[in-house]
Amino acid sequence: MLHGSSLNFIKNDSGFLSLEFEKKKYEKVILTRLIPFYSKNTYISVSYEDEEKNFHEIGVIKDTKDLIKEQRKMIEDYLEFKYYMPKITKVHSIKDNNRGYIFVTVNTTSGEKTLAIRDWYSNFKMLNDKMLYVVDADGNKYYAPDIYELDRKSLQCIEMFV
Amino acid sequence: MNLLLAYPDGREKDDVIYSLPYDIDQKCRKVNGHCVFTSTQIEIYRNNEKIHTYHIDDFDEIICEQLIGSSMLLGKKGEQTKFLCAFSQKFFLRYAEISKLLDYYKRTGELLQENDEDEPTCPKCGLPLDGAPSCPFCGKKSDYLIRLIKRTGPYKWYFIAAVICTIVTEAVWVFLPYLQRILIDEYITPMKNVDSGFIMIAATMILSVFFVWGLEYINMKSSFKVALSVGRDLRQDVFSKAQQLSMTSISKRTAGELINRVNHDAMKLQDFITANGKDAIVKLISVVILGIILISMNFKLALLVILPIPFVALFVSKLFNTLHIRYGRVWRYRTRYSSVLHDILNGIRVVKSYGTEEMEIRKYQDASEKWMKSAISAEVIWSVFMPIAQFLLTIGNFLMLYAGGKMVLNEQLSLGELVQYTTYVAMIYGPLTWMLQIPRLLADTAVSSARVFEILDEESDVKDKSDAISMDIHGDITFDDVYFGYKAYKPVLKGINCNIKEGEMIGIVGHSGVGKSTMINLILRLYDCTGGRILIDGVDIKDIAGESLRSKVGVVLQETFLFDGSVYDNISYAKPDATFEEIIKAAKVANAHDFIVKLPDGYNTRVGDKGYSLSGGERQRIAIARAILHNPRILILDEATASLDTQTEKQIQEALNRLIKGRTTIAIAHRLSTLSNADRLIVLDQGKLAEFGTHNELMQKKGVYYKLVMAQRQTTKMKKVVEAVS
Repeated sequence: MLHGSSLNFIKNDSGFLSLEFEKKKYEKVILTRLIPFYSKNTYISVSYEDEEKNFHEIGVIKDTKDLIKEQRKMIEDYLEFKYYMPKITKVHSIKDNNRGYIFVTVNTTSGEKTLAIRDWYSNFKMLNDKMLYVVDADGNKYYAPDIYELDRKSLQCIEMFV
Repeated sequence: MNLLLAYPDGREKDDVIYSLPYDIDQKCRKVNGHCVFTSTQIEIYRNNEKIHTYHIDDFDEIICEQLIGSSMLLGKKGEQTKFLCAFSQKFFLRYAEISKLLDYYKRTGELLQENDEDEPTCPKCGLPLDGAPSCPFCGKKSDYLIRLIKRTGPYKWYFIAAVICTIVTEAVWVFLPYLQRILIDEYITPMKNVDSGFIMIAATMILSVFFVWGLEYINMKSSFKVALSVGRDLRQDVFSKAQQLSMTSISKRTAGELINRVNHDAMKLQDFITANGKDAIVKLISVVILGIILISMNFKLALLVILPIPFVALFVSKLFNTLHIRYGRVWRYRTRYSSVLHDILNGIRVVKSYGTEEMEIRKYQDASEKWMKSAISAEVIWSVFMPIAQFLLTIGNFLMLYAGGKMVLNEQLSLGELVQYTTYVAMIYGPLTWMLQIPRLLADTAVSSARVFEILDEESDVKDKSDAISMDIHGDITFDDVYFGYKAYKPVLKGINCNIKEGEMIGIVGHSGVGKSTMINLILRLYDCTGGRILIDGVDIKDIAGESLRSKVGVVLQETFLFDGSVYDNISYAKPDATFEEIIKAAKVANAHDFIVKLPDGYNTRVGDKGYSLSGGERQRIAIARAILHNPRILILDEATASLDTQTEKQIQEALNRLIKGRTTIAIAHRLSTLSNADRLIVLDQGKLAEFGTHNELMQKKGVYYKLVMAQRQTTKMKKVVEAVS
């Protein structure tokens, strides 16, 4: 596990992160959520690739809360971009074309849209008892962290398809 | 692919080669941006204002990198990476295509302009047509029904016989109330004595019953013939199609799901086509005939009977959508249940060895429970609304009885006529009530037909050309600038060029995930390469008939799969017409004969599910015997000795050495020592062919192979030290 106090992330002009750690500088480090469906900001793997593209892990940050405020924001922004996944806030309707596609009209944090979902029994599913995970035909991912927090109509729509 | 999707306002279009929008920034904010490529420059626009300009030659490489939820275009120069723009996955394939075209430009100096036509899409739903003449998703639902009915074509005479028998039976039942009326009005009401007329009527009624029995017999026999034959054809077609589909399509579905489609869905359609299909024709004819009789007998009473029907039909049609969604849900839970069951039973050894039986029982219970609850939810809706619909439908009967009774009292109608009329009304309610079930049947069948036709209509992405040739394969293999990725935009193999000569033993080495097994999958044509071509004896692999190719390629994998059957069955799998002498010879060459002799039933010993009653080494030797019997010109060994102990490995290595003689052999092994007898070695590194030569040549070169050998020697030394210390 990496201790927040020993880490110094630096954001370069192109938006990539470097890390100073134990008197060494690692360019273009890769941050990975180890349990992306359970937690956004805990258990973050910090790694890099060497010149021969071999993977090396520097360590794992247990919780981004252990980092100082600026550092925390920097890596949380990076993770939000890498794992860009609009949140579903309302489900208006779900139409099944009976040929493997469903068309889901939703409000998301990036606006209202109709998602065409192919092979929907694989791409419109619950990851646990509460979390809905959706991948549309283009490969964009959406989620609702707790379907029971949505309004009644949204819940009724979802329940018929999961 | 259209790479001129949108231009920034006010930008001249003349010199633009590619122009795509981008929709997010690095902070995930929604933006309105464009990325414009000319023959020399890359221009980045935000809100139609140019914010950056780069020269294409500023970068060695333009990379399209896909992250988890977003993607970005990067320019790379040496160690420096420049961020160009970010976008959602909607634009990913287009940017990836630009990256590929720019890569081609960097290598050849030629900047290709892409066709601005996109792949044809459905005008209605906008989904790609994937080579189909019309949208498979927006086609009329009745098309599927017609396709289902057409499947009875080969058995049409049986079907027609069943329909005729049913119609005649119905006609007899319609005729009987007429005889009843004569009995009542001419013999019972006037209390007339029994005469020859009475006996004739009674005898006709009794004979009619026997006649109906005879018809029922023919009807049932013909119906079953059609039902079971159509069911068999459907199952066969779904199964055959599943065999023909490419690995890409197969891996999208679990084994449990495919089993469900072959068994359950095909069975649903079988029932629908025959039992219900025949019923639908007969019931419809019954309703029409009985309707005409009722109207012609008494128009006013008929109106009272017909009155509630339109309302009930409206009510029932509304039920269809609700039921369809619920039956879809039942289908999903049943499929999940099948997958769970299949998974647990397949992994029963792991379950038992970890003592997780209770956990698996709970998992199974949960899947079973969810299936049950979903089915209850669908059936409850049905059972709540069905009695209401039935009651509404039969209201007409009460109205008719009231009005009919008054008519008898007023002597406008005889008692016999009323009895005949009420019998016909009761008879017409039978098919009408059955018709109420049509939404439920259609809902249930629609779900299954969609699943079955989804497989039957799926185009295999690896298929034989119409003019594919069968040829004698000698074993010369050429990789000509081969590119391949399981996802087209993410190449696993990049620009592989090499020639493997007939009879050569070639080893493929490299780190895990570097594309070794992928090369083998391409030779087996489990996938088609996305760029370049593979030639066998100078012929493009895509021009060779799949059967011809695979009949000359043998494979021994690390994980051997044996079918549930005897040792004999498993060895002869590769050549079902092999003589027993040939089988013994193959087993001896494979060093398998000796252990088979010691088995209680010799070659007839059952190997159990997946051969679990044998050890790993024994299974492997049977697989080698199978490959020997196949007598391939090209032999593929994928980590064939990786999971075996030294003694067993020695035995198997001996067998393999005999097997590879005179054949082109391609072997993958992590343990480089097992490739010591290879004529040449292919060294893969980051998807590229890094080195190709003999062991000595590559060691002298001191490149990637040298490093791999040194690293492995170091590990072996360390192991020895650890063993010595402990």
